[in-house]
Amino acid sequence: MDYFRKYLSSQQGGVQPTGAETVERLCDRASSSTLLDDRRDAVRALKALSKKFRVEVGTRAMDILVRVLETDRSDAEITGYALDTLCHIMSDEVTEDDEDMPNVPSDLGAQFTEIFIKKTDNVTLLLSLLTEYDFHILWPTVRLLTVILTNKCKDVQDMILVSPMGVSKLMDLLSESREIIRNDALLLLIQLVKNNANIQKIVAFENAFERLLEIITQEGSSDGGIVVEDCLLLLLNLLRNNSSNQNFFRESSCIKYLTPFFDVDNIQQQSQGGWSAQKVTNIHLMLQLVRTLVSPNNPQQLTSTCQKNMHSSGLLQQLCAILMASGVPADVLTETINTVSEVIRGSQQNQEYFASVMAPSNPPRPAIVVLLMSMVNEKQPFSLRCAVLYCFQSFLYRNEVGQSQIVQTLLPTSVDANTISAGQLLCGGLFSPDSLSNWFAAVALLHAILGNSTQKEQLLRVQLATSLGNPPVTLLQQCCNILAQGGRFQTRIGLLMLLSTWLADSPIAVSHFLYNTSNVPYLISQVSASDVEENESLVHGLCAFLLGICVRFNDDQNETFTMTSLRQVIEKRIGLETFTDKLNQVPKHECYTKAIKNPHINYKQPSESVFDHEFTKLFKKLEGEVLNALSSSRDQSKKQIPSLKEHENIVTQYKDLIQEQDQQLQELRHQLEEMKVSHNTASSQLEKLGQQVQQLKDQNALLKAQKGSHADIRKDEEIKNLNEEIIGLKTQLAEKDSNIEKLKTAVAVLEVRVPAQDMSGEEDKENNPPSELEVLQTTMNRLNTDLYHVRVQLAERESLISTMETERNEALQQLEVLKETRESSAADTDLANQKIASLTANVTRLTEEKNSLQDRIKKSNEENLNLLDKIKKLEEDKDRLVGEKMDLHGELDTVKKEQEDLLVLLADQDSKIDKYKARLRELGQEVEDDDDDEELDDENIGDEGDADEEDN
Amino acid sequence: MSYAYLFKYIIIGDTGVGKSCLLLQFTDKRFQPVHDLTIGVEFGARMISIDGKQIKLQIWDTAGQESFRSITRSYYRGAAGALLVYDITRRDTFNHLTTWLEDARQHSNSNMVIMLIGNKSDLEARRDVKKEEGEAFAREHGLIFMETSAKTAANVEEAFINTAKEIYQKIQDGVFDINNEANGIKIGPQHSPTNPNMPSGGGSAGQSGGCC
Repeated sequence: MDYFRKYLSSQQGGVQPTGAETVERLCDRASSSTLLDDRRDAVRALKALSKKFRVEVGTRAMDILVRVLETDRSDAEITGYALDTLCHIMSDEVTEDDEDMPNVPSDLGAQFTEIFIKKTDNVTLLLSLLTEYDFHILWPTVRLLTVILTNKCKDVQDMILVSPMGVSKLMDLLSESREIIRNDALLLLIQLVKNNANIQKIVAFENAFERLLEIITQEGSSDGGIVVEDCLLLLLNLLRNNSSNQNFFRESSCIKYLTPFFDVDNIQQQSQGGWSAQKVTNIHLMLQLVRTLVSPNNPQQLTSTCQKNMHSSGLLQQLCAILMASGVPADVLTETINTVSEVIRGSQQNQEYFASVMAPSNPPRPAIVVLLMSMVNEKQPFSLRCAVLYCFQSFLYRNEVGQSQIVQTLLPTSVDANTISAGQLLCGGLFSPDSLSNWFAAVALLHAILGNSTQKEQLLRVQLATSLGNPPVTLLQQCCNILAQGGRFQTRIGLLMLLSTWLADSPIAVSHFLYNTSNVPYLISQVSASDVEENESLVHGLCAFLLGICVRFNDDQNETFTMTSLRQVIEKRIGLETFTDKLNQVPKHECYTKAIKNPHINYKQPSESVFDHEFTKLFKKLEGEVLNALSSSRDQSKKQIPSLKEHENIVTQYKDLIQEQDQQLQELRHQLEEMKVSHNTASSQLEKLGQQVQQLKDQNALLKAQKGSHADIRKDEEIKNLNEEIIGLKTQLAEKDSNIEKLKTAVAVLEVRVPAQDMSGEEDKENNPPSELEVLQTTMNRLNTDLYHVRVQLAERESLISTMETERNEALQQLEVLKETRESSAADTDLANQKIASLTANVTRLTEEKNSLQDRIKKSNEENLNLLDKIKKLEEDKDRLVGEKMDLHGELDTVKKEQEDLLVLLADQDSKIDKYKARLRELGQEVEDDDDDEELDDENIGDEGDADEEDN
Repeated sequence: MSYAYLFKYIIIGDTGVGKSCLLLQFTDKRFQPVHDLTIGVEFGARMISIDGKQIKLQIWDTAGQESFRSITRSYYRGAAGALLVYDITRRDTFNHLTTWLEDARQHSNSNMVIMLIGNKSDLEARRDVKKEEGEAFAREHGLIFMETSAKTAANVEEAFINTAKEIYQKIQDGVFDINNEANGIKIGPQHSPTNPNMPSGGGSAGQSGGCC
């Protein structure tokens, strides 16, 4: 301290060395002294001077101080001094001393930092000091790093990033037990992660989220002090614009740790004594943290998962409780409303929950109504009213149910005079004397019908009761009336936006608007007026937009203002150039560009509330369409005026065509439908028929089987028996044949003996007959004829015998004659006697033969009779079998007939199906050709499937 | 979703070996043939179950490019497991394994489980590194080895799950200090040996996706 005093006091004297000289001397000492104590004193002195003589110490001592850090690291004291000194010279923080030296440049610290970090080793050196445990080293190191990070963020970040374990070492400081170091480490980390996604990710990887949430809880959560604030700032820095970290935060189940921040009981208890500034700040930061996770600018998927988690973890419920709690400071309430807005925006579940929240008023009212009351109340702070509008918009964002609920409250049927409804509040706001309320109500109403044609039409039904005795007037007309009355800028802008949104994409709304003939002239007069000031030009621009929408979405239902006539009027009265100019004024406006960027309403003062985000999007979308709708006639210039009509004609032609085609389509669809039905029935019939055929076949088979089992077998047996009998007969026949043969031979013998007996015996009995019965018959016939022949032969033979007897008688007579002659001649008589004797012997032999033959014939006759009987029996059997056969044939025939009938039916169906196929082909269906019935069925099913697909 | 343990993994290896695809296949069960170059580090998570215990895997997929090496080094220390990936159709990626391993050993905690992965096993026709070589390298350096295909999902589940099993075993053996979160292991809020709510089943894959 001697040096310190000496040099300080010497300065006051005139001859004493200047600050620069002193610094010079101290530097020499610090660098050249061999004694540690000396060096330590010198550095301590430099530290003391480093605030007053920043420039001098900085320029002269920096290298020396760095060398001290390198060489004297073992001495915590000198290292600490050196670090403090470096801290002083590089810090640009405004201190009391600075005020004494106005000539010091404000970025002096940054300049020194630049010099310091030129050597990358210096930063590495500082990082290596973080491993020291000594408080005198660690604490100033943290602060110095914070300073150089503040001054040269990007460069130092890069150096820390490449330094091995650099970030990790810094992260370890968060676990430091000495709170002062941990708290300063928080400040260091806030600087470290600024705008550097890579470092943010590493810090998050090192468990920063859990660590920070732990510290916040330890420090008393929202009631905690500045440390909580710092933790929240660091969390915000880690999460903002870093979707990877947001995802990690959500994945690590950190969202549920946010819920206790907004413990409403705790908050209300505290609020008895008012909220501390720190608490307000903490809650603000916590709300921002929530908003960061569900920002409309985040990836949709991330936001919606976070929204779900916030619902399931009860965070949304807590936030809504704050909304309805008493004693919450207005700015906190505003921010809570904004936060709730983003938590529910586009999330159906959360929107439903929000709609169900009731305010603890008497009678209880929906939170939405209570909030809307604030919105249309001019006494409420502007920012709160903006927040409510944002909340209302978020509630209706992608929420058709919500939209219809709101519009429903405006419709005559559901109006309940006793309760205040959202619709009443909005109408009240729309026609209140406060222009800002008009604007808010108009924009709110705009969101109730945005992109929802049903609600646009519903809103057309809304009637307003004006003064007593006057007829009610529609909401649409009342808006137009107020617009025409002039009124203030925001009123008109709000109404114009509402009307434009209402009429866009809704030809019905357009024709309602055009129904009142005074509306278009008003718009024309506005657009054709010359601009007086900026705001008026916006009104004119929006009037042009509305007029353009009337053209663009005109369905020519109104005779006075058809698309064509409106175009002509615009061209004649305004001129397309002017019209386009006016329209182009709108997107050029600062308020427009601001509004289109972000759905969040972030106006600082009432005059900024001009455009709504969704409206700007609509404007951007329709601007081109509107100009096209108008300029399609302009490009073709005047000669195209007749062609306008042509155009109309073409359009109508096309419309007709489309209608025709529509009808055709309808008809074809109908036909297709019918065809499908008939097709279905046909295929089902086919199926039935197939089944019948199958049944018949089965029956057939069954019958066959039965026959096979009963009749057939019997028949077979019978046939077999018959065959056997036939064989027996055959053998008998053969026997007979042989008998006959024998007879024949006998006959032949007889023939030989009796020449008259020459009968042909030729018969082909040996041939096997094709039909046994026939053969039997023929053989029978033959046998009969044979018999006949035999009989004839017998008769002949008998006649022969009789002739022979007569001959004998003659011979006997001759003999008598001869006896007489013998008497005449004895010699002759002897001869004659011999002759007679031989003749009688002959005759007896012949009679014997005749007798034997007769016996034989008798025998064969008997046999023949037997055979005949048997044949008769066989014939009877055969007849019976034939009868059975006939019956079976008859049955078979009927079955065959039925089958034939079925085949005819099938053929009919086939031809029908072919016809259908052809028709389907004509209808553009793909039909495959198939011969197989079953495949055809499959095919049909496939066709139906195709048709279904087409219908879809 | 509550879990018994949380393991942090990193995936390292040369650029283009398919690290991001492995992660995508594991977390989303899909393959993206054209993948952007990873910038810095990307994060993914999934729940698995081992011995009937729910284990949450938080996986950091690192950029393979040399310029990001200093960034990716910061992730070694806090990881309990590392998948070291090479491409079986590119020998250079195999040759660089030694460098990667040195880097990992130097910056990680000594107990970190390293699984060596030869990726793109579906491209057998273009194979440049034999399976035996990978096995030999793994044996030599005490690593677990597997060939995978992020495209066909072959062995992808197994690679992540086997690594987790190894870590789990080390915990059972008392090798890991589970109270030091810097090791990349965290005990879950519901950790108890006889939790009735916990599904008991084999050590195979659990549900996909990881919501909390």
